[in-house]
Amino acid sequence: MEEFLHTFFDLDSIVAILPVLLTEGLANTLIISVSAVLAGLLLGLVLAMMLMSKLWIVKVPARIYVDVFRGLPAILTISLVGLGFPAAGIRPFGTSPFGYAILAVGLISAAYTAEILRSGIQSIDKGQLQAARSLGMTQFQAMRKIVIPQGIRNVLPALTNRFIIDIKESSLVYLLGLSVGQRELYFIAYQQQAVTYNSSALVAAGICYLLMTIPLTYVVNAWDRRLRTGRSRPKAVPVPSQSTMEVVS
Amino acid sequence: MSMMAQDAKIDASEHSKGIQIRDVRKSFGDTEVLKGVSLDVSLREVVCIIGPSGSGKSTLLKCINLLEQPTSGEIWVDGIELTAKSADINAARARVGMVFQHFNLFPHLSILENVTMALRVVKRLPAKKAEEIAVRQLTRLGVDTLSHLRPADCSGGQQQRVAITRALAMEPQVMLFDEATSALDPELVKGVLDEMRALALDGMTMVVVTHEMAFAREVADRVVFMDNGQIVETGPAEEVLTNPQTDRLQNFLSQVL
Ligand SMILES: Nc1ncnc2c1ncn2[C@@H]1O[C@H](COP(=O)(O)OP(=O)(O)O)[C@@H](O)[C@H]1O
Ligand SMILES: [Mg+2]
Repeated sequence: MEEFLHTFFDLDSIVAILPVLLTEGLANTLIISVSAVLAGLLLGLVLAMMLMSKLWIVKVPARIYVDVFRGLPAILTISLVGLGFPAAGIRPFGTSPFGYAILAVGLISAAYTAEILRSGIQSIDKGQLQAARSLGMTQFQAMRKIVIPQGIRNVLPALTNRFIIDIKESSLVYLLGLSVGQRELYFIAYQQQAVTYNSSALVAAGICYLLMTIPLTYVVNAWDRRLRTGRSRPKAVPVPSQSTMEVVS
Repeated sequence: MSMMAQDAKIDASEHSKGIQIRDVRKSFGDTEVLKGVSLDVSLREVVCIIGPSGSGKSTLLKCINLLEQPTSGEIWVDGIELTAKSADINAARARVGMVFQHFNLFPHLSILENVTMALRVVKRLPAKKAEEIAVRQLTRLGVDTLSHLRPADCSGGQQQRVAITRALAMEPQVMLFDEATSALDPELVKGVLDEMRALALDGMTMVVVTHEMAFAREVADRVVFMDNGQIVETGPAEEVLTNPQTDRLQNFLSQVL
């Protein structure tokens, strides 16, 4: 029992690693996952629009992209992008692995996000687009102002889920060999474990992940409920027919 | 009482006002839903379209502002051929207001924003000006007190008034109503019909798809009976409704009256 406690919950080890976990690890995990989510949302939105196109020449490339990136193990994609691109002379981020890490997680995220956004946008009644267009809005304006905002709201829980997965998958970029200053939570803890044969640093990193992922779930669920029930009124109003899917992490 | 004639193409001078529909056909896949519809609506005229469900009434209305692209035929609104390749469809569409059976308000926006959205995005008015217009129109329809609510917090009748307001705020030349009262609770129907009647008295050019025969009889200058993708009878309301010439219209009237 004592050995168990010492291995996983050694207070001295945790206190020793905590500063670097927070200042370097947590910061980089957040930078990688937030950038990846934003990249994923942007590319995912473009892909979602392409997936809904009637033109096969637009639709098929998006379909292939989504199928490929959803079908590969994340660790393989991260290796292909992070190790393969620079080796092949594709070096938009120079030789530092950090940019490739963001790109890789973003590319994976985009594939899932595209499908989430597509289902959200397609769940919006056709009458919304028709009403917007009947007022003289262009297709683009109607999508941007009317259809897409509603579509995104309908899939907020699913998007949060994806965000949580991105936070967790950002740990896989450790294999790109990040240098000191670029390391994210997991890599720091992993190195510490290798040096000390003590897992307390991993536990500390785990707690850091949970501190991000669990509140995110609850905050977005609360936000989602508020959007569904109207802005200012606590009183119950008819909930739209789309099912309220709760986030699971 | 006249059966619909297949007019020859009309020359441009006739296109100055109102709506001209010339031999419009519309197919979805292999099924032809509009089978050569021609209809003129002159300025300030109110035309009611009646007919059984599935006869193509909604499709015809949607063709008038090109929410559906006709497979063939010509549509002119206010002197502009919408079906021409060169037509600025968005500009033309802003001149045709449409009110839908299920209101189709934007649920993520407040009532006020529902009305200001197109003023800002399409007419590019500054926020303040757009709000002024919206409040004026909302007041006219008696729903200004709802400005800051969401559509879901309003009754069906209120929502439909807001939808009418939203269309009117764009200052359309023509208003299209697609069964605007069919989704309303019975006690709310009259209020919305009253607004439509007021609009007609104001001189708005209107095409109204409706099952409200009393409204058609009272307000319509002309009634058009559609069945199976064609105009079967057309004429003054009183005549068409009391003295149907075809079995199909007799049948239909015996079912709805
Ligand atoms: N987008 C569409 N795709 C395929 N069929 C359609 C579409 N819209 C309407 N239809 C068909 O066209 C016919 C006429 O529909 P509609 O114009 O809505 O009739 P109405 O308004 O008179 O009830 C119906 O048979 C309907 O199923
Ligand atoms: Mg209809």
